[in-house]
Amino acid sequence: MELMRHEDKRLITGTGKFTADWNRPDQLHAYVLRSDRAHAKLLAIDTTEALTANGVVSVLTASDITAAHFNTIPSGPDLKGVDDQAIIKSPLPILAIDRVRFVGQPVAMVIAESANLARDAAELIEVDYEDLPAVTSVDDALQSDTALHAAAPDNVSLHFESGDEKAVADAFASAAKTSQITIHSQRLAGAPMEPRALSAHYDAERDITTVCTPTQGMLGMRASLSAVTGVPQEQLDIVADDVGGSFGLRGGTLPEHAMLVLATRKLGRPVKWVSQRSELFIGEWHGRGLELKGSIALDADDRITAIRFEDTADLGAYNCYFGGFIGTNNLSVTMGGVYQVPALYMQSRLIYTNKVPVSAYRGAGRPDIAFAIERLIDHTAAEHGLDPVEFRRKNFVPKDAFPYTTANGSIYDCGDFESVMNRALKSADYAGFAARRKASTAAGKIRGIGFGCYVEKSGAGGAPRDDASCRFIDGRIHLFGVTGPSGQGHESTFARIISDGLGIPTDLISYRAGDSAQELIGNGTGGSRSLYGAGSAFKNLVQVVIDKATPHAAELLNVEPADVTFADGQFIGRNGAQGISLLHVAGKLKAVDGEHPLDSVAHTVTGANYPNGCHVAEIEIDPDTGVTELLAYTSVDDLGNVIHPELVRGQVHGGVVQGAGQAFCEQIVYDDSGQLLSGSFMDYAMPRAGTVHKMHNETYAVPTELNELGSKGVGESGCSGSLPAISNAMMDALRSVGVGSMDMPYTPDRLWKVLQQVKKSA
Amino acid sequence: MAEVTVNLTVNGSARSCVVEERTLLADALRDELELPGTHIGCDTSQCGCCTIMLNGSSVKSCTMLAVQAEGADIVTIEGLANGDELHPLQTAFSACHGLQCGFCTPGMIMASLELLKQHPDPSDEQIREGLSGNLCRCTGYTNIEAAVRAAAAAMGD
Repeated sequence: MELMRHEDKRLITGTGKFTADWNRPDQLHAYVLRSDRAHAKLLAIDTTEALTANGVVSVLTASDITAAHFNTIPSGPDLKGVDDQAIIKSPLPILAIDRVRFVGQPVAMVIAESANLARDAAELIEVDYEDLPAVTSVDDALQSDTALHAAAPDNVSLHFESGDEKAVADAFASAAKTSQITIHSQRLAGAPMEPRALSAHYDAERDITTVCTPTQGMLGMRASLSAVTGVPQEQLDIVADDVGGSFGLRGGTLPEHAMLVLATRKLGRPVKWVSQRSELFIGEWHGRGLELKGSIALDADDRITAIRFEDTADLGAYNCYFGGFIGTNNLSVTMGGVYQVPALYMQSRLIYTNKVPVSAYRGAGRPDIAFAIERLIDHTAAEHGLDPVEFRRKNFVPKDAFPYTTANGSIYDCGDFESVMNRALKSADYAGFAARRKASTAAGKIRGIGFGCYVEKSGAGGAPRDDASCRFIDGRIHLFGVTGPSGQGHESTFARIISDGLGIPTDLISYRAGDSAQELIGNGTGGSRSLYGAGSAFKNLVQVVIDKATPHAAELLNVEPADVTFADGQFIGRNGAQGISLLHVAGKLKAVDGEHPLDSVAHTVTGANYPNGCHVAEIEIDPDTGVTELLAYTSVDDLGNVIHPELVRGQVHGGVVQGAGQAFCEQIVYDDSGQLLSGSFMDYAMPRAGTVHKMHNETYAVPTELNELGSKGVGESGCSGSLPAISNAMMDALRSVGVGSMDMPYTPDRLWKVLQQVKKSA
Repeated sequence: MAEVTVNLTVNGSARSCVVEERTLLADALRDELELPGTHIGCDTSQCGCCTIMLNGSSVKSCTMLAVQAEGADIVTIEGLANGDELHPLQTAFSACHGLQCGFCTPGMIMASLELLKQHPDPSDEQIREGLSGNLCRCTGYTNIEAAVRAAAAAMGD
């Protein structure tokens, strides 16, 4: 057995360095006091007693933030809605000023000589609240007289639309068949395994504030922290060695980052904060929280003539980062799915509730819309007696129709949806299911099979380009980029691209993200784009290095540069002399002022692409217990060209099981007063070993021409495939015993009750 | 709060530290004995990131106070390899791509050590049962299960 990735050696020996592992001499510790009310006026905060407690150095409240002229937390893009109405944005303050709007909202920060002392002292802070009625669901928010924000008296932040309302209405008016379905994608906790942590240290002499934090990209974090605190970017240094998962949650500044910057600059000592897990359930944004109502119109030949969606997105208490983007753009761009649909229209409303703000979590709307369409397609097939395979086959965007422009303006560059589905159904032995169902039925179990054909738009990226650079030091090649890994294996994948291109063994190649001294531009990890963005830049870097090295190689080979070729890692001259490797050439050259002659920079400019696939799930329900087994899972994904198959498979596995988590167990639950009931891993069920019994994964590459690697995004695809596949399998099983509909999560308790209900009415 | 001296054998060496009575063993290992390979991923003993071997059995080190470990013989992830020679479980986790971010990995490996002690040739069911106290958010577990099987095979050779 051999180690697979560069990063593994330190992680399997306990010598990795996560943020909580940082300790600095003389460091202080912080604890965040959070609101225990969902909605209340904040009348007064008395910190007198806490300030005199043992070991306490300082207590920060909103007045300190105001005095420091810090801004609020970024509230996301300036979207436009119906009639060109601008989004109403209510940003999250770093510390609550005169009102708290969700349980968990930061109210004060205690800084003390130890974490325990800071926590003890927080109990001595007296907060005078005046409770207000809490709005705890989207329906509540639309009906209630209580407004969270004066700027949005109806609790609606944005009423968004996309597509052609009239064309869709006309298609429905003349439809031969119609069908509709409402699906819920429940609120989730992202729950990376590394709890959020921070270590901030102000070096007064250099006027530099160093912040260690788990992040998806140091430069993005630095820019957002600078925007929030007003500290110039060049005076901020962001450090992240190992990051224990991110899934969209670790992209930008949250209140604790800003408070620690303030604290360390004010106190002149390093300050550390490590969150507790239960604190993250109320102190780190949630994901999903969507209701999608889909309708479909068919002609007499069962061809789709229109799809309409009416959606609501539960924003939580504030507009936070991508929250607004999820329920609008990220749902609408692929709302026609993998089908040729002449008319599309979607409207959605973004709604404030007294709950934790919602922002990106693996897929950020992509899995939700894939789930909604594929449920709608299956539901339509079942309602009208159509074969779900033939119905899809008839309506796919055909492979000769690319580039395909959807009715609401997305351009799918390439794909072969039918071949992908055919391959998946074959590998899953879809044809043999009837016999397997029979066996399950004989054993008293309820078996179901389902599949979903998703297409998603991977991240366009916010930076104008993705840079990659390399430096030759001591016989090794050091790679630099912007995108920060949190488990994806950037160090191994980028090394492989360079190794394949330059013929240098991977163990002589390292990767470092976000080194501000390199002055690179690029995107952080997110939107599944690290490989095709930064990876393409590394592919371009290969040629830049070869071009730079060629004249030097020519000199060493005693030929003209025009007579030198580079192949299989060797420079070869036309004179037949023995070839020489790139590292040999590099070794003959001396660095001047710390810069080696072969040090290079390259970049790529590339936007979104359209990964797609077909996932098949086969499940079995035990009606006596309500327990479901996910017996077999098959994925066939078109991810374009694959660079590192094992790592791609790993991404698919992880995404699929996060989808299975949502399908079978995960759920954020609030009570009517806005208290979180699922606030720890005891109450918030996570998928565990054995979630999938048999996993089979294939890829079917239709390379994209939108980037140099020909690769498409992979990170979010697993969720986009598994939500529809698993739900369609569940509904296939449930329909067979007379259950018409059921929402996620399919927990044993909920399933058992549904099955009992059917039994009773039978 | 009163402080207590705790004496332990950790990864083969005699160690002692002075801790508050309320200090959890996990925190003592990380902060006092400077062994940060034992991770803390939750506060309710659900995630298993802090799993160690204590007197030959796996224990979530957040479930006991440091003072309760007085005199114990502890092995953490840092002490699992034999010098430069990795334990077969460590190699297998990497070889089977049973880790991505690596945060849960120390606990997963220590829990797997216990599971293979009890079931040297484990069934799928025994692997799932043995890992049921450990959470991973990245891998979807399929490759972790494969790693345990691969390690079992290597250790059985």
